[in-house]
Amino acid sequence: MQDGERIWITGMGLVTALGVDVATSWTRLLRGERGLGRLDLFDTTGQRAVTVAGVPGWESVGPPGWAAKKWSRTSAFAWRAAREAIAEAGLDVGGGSSPRVGLVVGGTTGGMFETEALLAALHANPHGIEPLVDMISQPLSATGDRLVESLGAFCRVRSLCSACSSGANAFLVGALWLLSGSVDAVVVGGSDGLCRLTVSGFNALAATDPGMCRPFDVRRNGLNLGEGAGFAVLERASRVTERRGKPLAELAGWATGAEAHHITNPEPTGSAAARVIDRCLRRAGLGPRDVDYVNAHGTATPLNDAMEAAALRLSLGDETRRVPVSSSKGQVGHTLGAAGAIEAVFSALSIGHQAIPPTMGLEEPDPECPLVHVLREGRACRVRAALSNSFGFGGMDTVLLLTEPELGPPRATGGRRVVVTGVSSLTPHGLDDARTAAPLVDGTLAGAVPAPTGPIAIDLGAHLDTSRARRLDRTARLATVVAARALAEAGAGAIPIDVADAGVVLGTAFGSLDPSAAFMHRLFDKGPRFASPAEFPNLVPSSPVGHASIYLGLRGAALAVADLRTSAESAVVTAAELIEAGEQEVVVTGAVEEASELVERILFTRHTAVASSAPEERRRPRSEGAAALVLESEAHAAARGRTPLAVLADVRSWAGMPGERIPGPRDPGRAHVVLVHDSADAASRLAGTGWASVVRTTVTDGAGDQEGLGATALVAAVALVHRGDADEVLVLGTDEGRGYALTLVPPPRAVSSASP
Amino acid sequence: MDLDLLKSEIKTLIVKELNLEGRDPASIHDEAPLFGAAPAGAPASLGLDSLDALQLAMSIEERFGVRIPEGPEARRIFASVAALAGYVAEKKSDR
Repeated sequence: MQDGERIWITGMGLVTALGVDVATSWTRLLRGERGLGRLDLFDTTGQRAVTVAGVPGWESVGPPGWAAKKWSRTSAFAWRAAREAIAEAGLDVGGGSSPRVGLVVGGTTGGMFETEALLAALHANPHGIEPLVDMISQPLSATGDRLVESLGAFCRVRSLCSACSSGANAFLVGALWLLSGSVDAVVVGGSDGLCRLTVSGFNALAATDPGMCRPFDVRRNGLNLGEGAGFAVLERASRVTERRGKPLAELAGWATGAEAHHITNPEPTGSAAARVIDRCLRRAGLGPRDVDYVNAHGTATPLNDAMEAAALRLSLGDETRRVPVSSSKGQVGHTLGAAGAIEAVFSALSIGHQAIPPTMGLEEPDPECPLVHVLREGRACRVRAALSNSFGFGGMDTVLLLTEPELGPPRATGGRRVVVTGVSSLTPHGLDDARTAAPLVDGTLAGAVPAPTGPIAIDLGAHLDTSRARRLDRTARLATVVAARALAEAGAGAIPIDVADAGVVLGTAFGSLDPSAAFMHRLFDKGPRFASPAEFPNLVPSSPVGHASIYLGLRGAALAVADLRTSAESAVVTAAELIEAGEQEVVVTGAVEEASELVERILFTRHTAVASSAPEERRRPRSEGAAALVLESEAHAAARGRTPLAVLADVRSWAGMPGERIPGPRDPGRAHVVLVHDSADAASRLAGTGWASVVRTTVTDGAGDQEGLGATALVAAVALVHRGDADEVLVLGTDEGRGYALTLVPPPRAVSSASP
Repeated sequence: MDLDLLKSEIKTLIVKELNLEGRDPASIHDEAPLFGAAPAGAPASLGLDSLDALQLAMSIEERFGVRIPEGPEARRIFASVAALAGYVAEKKSDR
């Protein structure tokens, strides 16, 4: 019997401006070399700043023929770094039934660079079809899919975005999977490639230094964008010991939380970021005195560096006079969604090599940043524990603590029960809650309403304070309305929910494709000087999450998740994992998709272009929709006197592999299956299980159709349980080999009262 | 250029570009501070922030062809609608 577990890193991989492997990147990093140069990926006429950290020789980093196969540069970087990490760990991915290996990928731009070329073609010929067919290969989840195709059969895959902390959150989610025992090993990391959108956007925000950036310097004037990937293999220590493997470092602590302050600016006192650093240390069972090195977020923007120095002083106190701090961004640039992962690898390397890298570009430390800086070049240093800070747009802060193996106590494993305490769904059918949503799936509306398309007719202004919501685009408003309503319902206990502790995790399949296209068209028309600074922050896939967090004051974990037509299920499962593991007590989760002519055209083109489309998989026109569920730990709901609407009794997921068998219902006569989309794949998942003979319905046509429909299905399933229609409801969402099966049951008290 | 017309155009631009939904452009006082808190006795500040300043600078340049410099000078130009209109009028007449 173990008291807990440890997470060990057994392999690492890097693609950076300094080199396309760990050894080269690290050696050059310690020497203080700077991988900065003039951007030459595309025409930079009119750009305010063009000093970037591009990956040299990027054409040859991917697998043979990657470009011809329509891979994005981001996917190519990820492949290179993940492969290096897997090789170092000696991991056999998908070689038989064991080990079960998972994959978590963080990113922000995905295939935006390639999409931009397609948008340019559409700009030139608005009726072109060819660009649409190619655009299909570029959603945020594509990188994970390319790694599954090329590196092996991962048993579960997650694609997430929390702006510039995405890569760090991939480590966090991977650690939760290991602690829960759902995987034996997990490949985690982040990848991002330079593109016109981010270069123009950060330039529009005047957040870039035209020259080489100077983190923590009194003359610092902005960041230099970079690109690359960082990956690691994480395993439970017990398994590493068993197979006589070697740990490179321990992932001893992690914490994530939102600042709920501003969509681009950090909370200036540093107290929000300090709270996340504190939680990371506490959960590692260590304190400020144990920290030997901090790899700072250190972007070199005036606001970030001052805030970060303040946060470190608040968290580490007098220890800041001892602990060396450095930022790697003066050498590898700010790699956005990859930064948290690349810097976690650097932090682990500082332990393995007992050396710390410098802050290049720093000549005259800003008195506002009174830290122990590392100037000019790296140096030898006794490092037992290293903090890695990542702070993203929208105030999404994640902090990791890497240590030498067995420095602190082992981590407790999770296993807490998750309940649903509030739901809200917005579809063309209207706004629904636990009392009204059941007809969306109970068959009573079948055929009654034609499949709707386009935007939902709703006065969002009636549900939001428009002066506070002025920065929220339509997607963010849709998400915020359902999140607020679900939280209000969940809060109806003796003790209300403290929203400041609540997290928010939402699914979004295509990110903000239409606003991104509009941003790019403006760029093509008017040039980079007229890129909109106000619109740019809304283009990162996590922006609806950031806006909801700021508007509602949610300061827990804030993540966006993408997984094609199972994006909602992927988000809800992520939220449940955070609660099971004890990272969060309350998370509002679900999905949001705005009506989009572009996405509709892409999907229509794909549907008619893919010959293998099964005829029974009829495609409904795409509409708009948002739905939210408040998930809560059973103990937390009980403590505040809230009877749950339903209990999340079982979660299964798969990604291409045959996957786990879905355990059958206890009483098929009182069970119900809700298919998010009717498909041959969904039916085959049920065949041979106890669910095959159970009443089966699909979300009604009247609820419209979009990639986040799974959240509406889950809301309706909760309503079925709440209404007493069924004692067990299985919600099954599938798309292109991936799938999620979530089982909802009534809370214990409701069962006993229903059957006296 | 008619300064009053210019002020009115700038107010409309502010409401539209910064999504000040429901706000009547005419209700914005010429001397109201755009950013930060208003000094005692001054009209209430619009309470805009640095992101608004960037968006406003971009749209002023797009609409009037007048470039707002980065840095401390921008603070003076963005003091109020009156100050901004004065700067735009001055730069336009320079050409």
